[in-house]
Amino acid sequence: MEVVVVKSYAFLFWGYLVVWAGIVGYLAFLGARLSRAVRRVEALERRLDSAR
Amino acid sequence: MRRAFALVYGPLLGVTAVVTGAALALIFLVAPEERVMGAVQKLFYIHVPLAFVTFLAVFVLLVGALGYLGTRRPVWDRLARATSEVGWLFCTLVLVTGPIWARPAWGVWWTWEAKLTTTLVLWLLLAGILLARGYATTPEQGARVGAVLGVIAALDVPIIYKAVDWWRGQHPIVFGPGKSDPLAPGMRAAFLVAMLAVTLVFALLVVLRMRLAALEDAIVAAEDAAWRSSS
Repeated sequence: MEVVVVKSYAFLFWGYLVVWAGIVGYLAFLGARLSRAVRRVEALERRLDSAR
Repeated sequence: MRRAFALVYGPLLGVTAVVTGAALALIFLVAPEERVMGAVQKLFYIHVPLAFVTFLAVFVLLVGALGYLGTRRPVWDRLARATSEVGWLFCTLVLVTGPIWARPAWGVWWTWEAKLTTTLVLWLLLAGILLARGYATTPEQGARVGAVLGVIAALDVPIIYKAVDWWRGQHPIVFGPGKSDPLAPGMRAAFLVAMLAVTLVFALLVVLRMRLAALEDAIVAAEDAAWRSSS
């Protein structure tokens, strides 16, 4: 029986690209939310300090 | 919390980077190409660990959800919040890499067979948790609804695992009870290191997301205090 080998590097390329794009994209999104949250906490702390 | 984050984050980032680099080198430079599937089989080294870590995420989500429902302590909610979001991301990647493998292997991108359909149900349940939390009127309500939905999502995991046994289907079962190890030594090393790498990436993302959850809670508390001091 003849064995047909699937020779498609395109699927392999897109598979790994999607995974890394997803993880790096989420990391960037998390980083942006983290820095925004840190800035917000600092602003609120300053506001509370000046109110005291 | 801030000190614990600083202690964990740096070393975890370093170890994750090294192990991920090693996994990619093993997958693309050491592991042999499978006889029939050829290059496409190498998607197995990322798809299976992503699926395993999705299950792990839902298990940790269940721990956080039950912990919150039992004690109402915010730390359990932060764990549930982090794992539901990161678990959703990993479940999305499972549902994307699966069809990319299926197209050359089966000739179709998607088929409504049991394992794929129940995995899609898990993705919808995790998306539902994120939406329910986003639309909740108070953080407590979001935590409570998120925890209940987290328990329901966890019920789907054993169904996904046993789907092929119960309903049959096209999805291959590579590992399982009574199955001999199908991997050549080069493939086994690549698979195990890839499994470790994806687990470390998951841990890193959960640590970061829990830090964000702690900051979100601090913002709510500080806004509350600011509102009370001004009124």
